[in-house]
Amino acid sequence: MAKRHWKVRPYVLTGGRTRTRQQLLVHTLVSVPYYDSVFAAGLLPEQRTLYEHARETRSLAELSAFSGISLGVTRVVVDDLASTDRLLVHAETYESPFDRRLLERLLDGLRKLA
Amino acid sequence: MRRILIVGAGQSGLQLALSLQAEGYDVTVMSARTPDEIRRGWVMSTQAMFGNALRTERIYGLDLWQAATPQIQGLQVSLSAPPGERALRIESPIDEPAQSVDQRVKMAAWLELFEERGGTVHYQGVTTSDLDGLTSLGRYDLTVVAAGKGELVSVFDRDPARSPYTTPQRGLAVAYVHGMTPDPLWPVPHVSFNAVPGLGELFVMPCHTLNGNCEILFWEAVPGGPLDLWQERRDPNEHLALTLDLAKQYVPWIYERCANVELTDARATLSGRYTPTVRRPVAQLPSGGIALGMADVVIANDPITGQGSNTAAKCAAAYVEAILAHGDRPFDRAWMEQTFEWFWESTGRHVTGWTNAMLQPLPEHVQGILGAAAGNETVARRFANGFSDPTDFENWFMSPDKAQAYLASVAS
Amino acid sequence: MASASLPDNPTLTSAKIVIAGGFGVGKTTCVAAISEIPPVNTEAWMTAASEPIDRLDPGIDKTTTTVAMDFGRLTISNDLVLYLFGTPGQARFWPMWDDLCRGAVGALVLADSRRLDASFAAINYFEQDSDLPFVVCLNLFDGMLTHHLDDVRQALALSPDVPLITCDARSPSSVAQALMAVVTHTMQRTGHTAPGAFPAR
Repeated sequence: MAKRHWKVRPYVLTGGRTRTRQQLLVHTLVSVPYYDSVFAAGLLPEQRTLYEHARETRSLAELSAFSGISLGVTRVVVDDLASTDRLLVHAETYESPFDRRLLERLLDGLRKLA
Repeated sequence: MRRILIVGAGQSGLQLALSLQAEGYDVTVMSARTPDEIRRGWVMSTQAMFGNALRTERIYGLDLWQAATPQIQGLQVSLSAPPGERALRIESPIDEPAQSVDQRVKMAAWLELFEERGGTVHYQGVTTSDLDGLTSLGRYDLTVVAAGKGELVSVFDRDPARSPYTTPQRGLAVAYVHGMTPDPLWPVPHVSFNAVPGLGELFVMPCHTLNGNCEILFWEAVPGGPLDLWQERRDPNEHLALTLDLAKQYVPWIYERCANVELTDARATLSGRYTPTVRRPVAQLPSGGIALGMADVVIANDPITGQGSNTAAKCAAAYVEAILAHGDRPFDRAWMEQTFEWFWESTGRHVTGWTNAMLQPLPEHVQGILGAAAGNETVARRFANGFSDPTDFENWFMSPDKAQAYLASVAS
Repeated sequence: MASASLPDNPTLTSAKIVIAGGFGVGKTTCVAAISEIPPVNTEAWMTAASEPIDRLDPGIDKTTTTVAMDFGRLTISNDLVLYLFGTPGQARFWPMWDDLCRGAVGALVLADSRRLDASFAAINYFEQDSDLPFVVCLNLFDGMLTHHLDDVRQALALSPDVPLITCDARSPSSVAQALMAVVTHTMQRTGHTAPGAFPAR
């Protein structure tokens, strides 16, 4: 009765692509590394709108707000575009949001306004 | 490769996701919390799962905790009548062991397993506008909503014909504790069901949690009654103190085992209440998309029969079967309705009917069954095994004539 | 003030501080005071009950509510930008709060001394449901402190390790100082933990 299913190997499931699985947080930055109008013309409506808006570096939340596309759909489409290298998800420079170097730089920046 | 979107990362959503992934589907999960947040979060349920439900996980190799988790050997029913005195005690083994794995342990690990196996998870609480966009995006062949505790359930219409209640039938209060001593009368791992007629019930069951094995103390309080002190969310230690105080007063045989209990961790309590509700299985979104509801999104029963996670697992198994059987044909509204109806007919209606009946004062024929069970092992065992297979109840438990016929047959 | 566009730099990275608090305590004002772009308002609509609901309850009525959150931005340098996210007013949209708080540096919980109760739910969220370091900040609408901070701390039942400060949400320098208090508090809370011991949330 108890048979174990494992019909497909993991790499097949991702279509062979290696995912960096960069977390897409609301403040994660995305940008288009090189704009390709032919590529843009072939995209589905939501993909195209987000691709166009990402020509300027923006956070996921800004991208969603400016495109008028819900955050959930934005995440899904950005993830797809990022896996094709057409969209750059900016890497997290710091190990965590509590990285001391990051916090010190924020303090320095804020101090100029205080 | 067919693309499936599953919104929600609990028992049903993740079991469906991992099963379909193993079958070669391209599955995306939307989870409101990361594995780490789940582990550091509040307890979510009592999740005692019985043989038939566990089998649906094991087929796909998903029961990763069997060796570590106390194997529940049976069910003990006690009646506190008059309140504080034990009028009746029934103990019965069950045919297959049951087990309860803290969902903080299980869902966090399942999410990680799903990602390790190449699945895509987006960490986001999905709003209605997200669901609208996701179902009309054209990216997914099928969208399943398995987020039974969020706001999203309300896109599914209540089915009044299948929902007899319009208000919560119990206030719920769960506490995970270390340090309970074994039951002196039956020192094997078991689920203990202690009814205080008219006022509520206390459940005690062993569980595997973040820091080892523990016991769960779970009060179900009839709203407005003396046990119903759970309207507000309390400080966890205050919650435990109140749990024990009520045990002392109403089920002293449980309280006697609690001299040295303490909460398992800082987020080991849960309280709340909800209205048992059956919903229609298909949500129609404004932009034209549709989504199929599963488990407690569409069948939310009171936990009095401990069936929530069992129904979730069975629903996942049923949906996997229906999805596989459907091949490459479109997952349209007709298929969704048919899939749910099949699940409702084979499992849902049995669980719902039995659970809703148990919320009421026990009818005379059920009192008769329990009285017989106290002195007859066969009757007791059939009742206890019903928690694994509730479809059996309609054959002997749910109506006076069938109960009478059954009791007569075992007496002769 | 920096331009509305972010630098075109592939190594540009971002950080986030959450601005929380009840309805009408000055979250939008606070974001606007310091943001180099007009606060961006993004709306997500949800079907939701009009009354506060229990976190277990699936039996809620079907009405549609729009939940608005607004956010602003501050360029710290050529390779670092700070986002400020204002939470939706009602605490019951907690999945959205989790999403906003995930990966944040810390949170500034605004309170109005004339109606402290408006921020109870937000404080409860950070005390009970989130592990993000947070600072509570009394927004002095008229620039004057009308209550003793000790009394406010007591009224809010704040634990002693949560800093309580004041600011004028209309003033950029005052908001910058409040945000510095958040960053400093996070440093103190996380200073002695190994990397990864305090995972992103």
